[in-house]
Amino acid sequence: MRALFSLIRREFLAYFLSPIAYVALFVFLFVNGVLFNFTLSALTESGPRGVEYPMRAWLGSEVFWLVFLFVPPLLTMRLFAEERGTGTLELLLTAPIRDWQVVAGKFFACFLFYVVLWLPTLAYLPILVDLDWQTGQPRIDPWPVVTSYLGVLLAGGMFLAIGLFISSLVKSQIVAAMIALLVSLIFVAAGFWPGGFDTGTGFGSLLYLVTVPEQFRHDFTRGLIDTRPLVLYVSVTIFCLFLTVRSLEARRLGA
Amino acid sequence: MIRVDHLTKYYGEYPAVRDVSFEVPKGRVVGFLGPNGAGKSTTMRILAGFLTASSGQATIAGKDVFSDPIAVRRQIGYMPENCPLYPELRVDEYLKFRAGLKGLGWSARRKRIDYVLERCWLSDVRRQLVGTLSKGYRQRVGLADALLADPPVLILDEPTAGLDPTQIRETRKLIRELGREHTMLLSTHILTEVEMACDSVIIIYQGKVAEDGTLAEVRRKHKNQSLEEIFVRLTGQEGI
Repeated sequence: MRALFSLIRREFLAYFLSPIAYVALFVFLFVNGVLFNFTLSALTESGPRGVEYPMRAWLGSEVFWLVFLFVPPLLTMRLFAEERGTGTLELLLTAPIRDWQVVAGKFFACFLFYVVLWLPTLAYLPILVDLDWQTGQPRIDPWPVVTSYLGVLLAGGMFLAIGLFISSLVKSQIVAAMIALLVSLIFVAAGFWPGGFDTGTGFGSLLYLVTVPEQFRHDFTRGLIDTRPLVLYVSVTIFCLFLTVRSLEARRLGA
Repeated sequence: MIRVDHLTKYYGEYPAVRDVSFEVPKGRVVGFLGPNGAGKSTTMRILAGFLTASSGQATIAGKDVFSDPIAVRRQIGYMPENCPLYPELRVDEYLKFRAGLKGLGWSARRKRIDYVLERCWLSDVRRQLVGTLSKGYRQRVGLADALLADPPVLILDEPTAGLDPTQIRETRKLIRELGREHTMLLSTHILTEVEMACDSVIIIYQGKVAEDGTLAEVRRKHKNQSLEEIFVRLTGQEGI
């Protein structure tokens, strides 16, 4: 347990010892700030136009997801690839710590940093729920906020686990980031399929199952929790972490 | 203390280590010799638990390397070849991380770090970034890391490679001192080092053990030749 804690601590702090953390934080906050600005102007628009669900204008937009795609690979690319490149993986894997603990420690550390990435966005919330400062009551339904954050945490975990697994396969950080990006793209770009989400056809509902932006547009940002996306996020996360442990074991068998 | 039984390791089709057996008794300092690519590093990596053997068995302090890896790794201080380190950490931060990884408690951690910093002459660079250290200092950080948990067995892969003569002398002195408290297996190319620091020697060539015994035994067997001549003869490069 001590070893695991020590590993999480080092991996988490390592983000702040390289420019990655600051670049990721800056880009992420900048894009979210712009989207928040759009949402804000939609909220304050006079006349019949405007938004029904402010969270949807923010997290349901393609712009958000296309930029978001770059964030998890940035966070996960170094986790194993760097250690394999410099050879420090040998030191880590000969320390008295089990392989699954190494994987869990690294995953937890990058997840923690991912949460840190989201923390500043909490400042938007009083406006997105139109908080009444006198009574402390929100004037817009606050549940979409809760479900949206649940959604981004679990979906983020999935993208991070994919990136972690790919990082364990290669020696170069850039290659790890590019492949992770490509694989993550599947879960976003499926939404660009022409004629996409025709709910009448089986294909439309199949497409819904793997398209993360659609799941947010349709459910999470409207305050709905559909168990199907949750099952997708959690199962892909666990599967990728399992594969990462296997990939480390394969490394020991050596080829 | 270290027992290796018919150890074999294949990289794909290529046998890097073939049917290697040897034993290192407790308290012995053993030099592990062989030309480049003979299988020294592979054998050491298997002992340290980084690689898994294709067949055969290795035990350290009676525990099997394969079936009880965590217990074995607690018994070993391992320093890999080229001594990889995290360049972005300071020396004491790095050692703190490694001590935590090895399961040392908070108070023990501080005590052991002070001890190894002192022992490996690192006290004056404890706040320096590892990435800015010279090769000799990096090597000492690696050695300090190996000593952190006070393991009974030390496995050092080329601890003096790439050092200047003064550093080699210092490291050798340190190894000799450590040999009094630890069982040690160290690989090297420098034969005088073995003669100065080791009790016995194992020469490995093309993945097989070519010679194994105390320095005196090996010399007697080869009619009192120098270790260098024995090494050259055994590794089949006589004509050169």
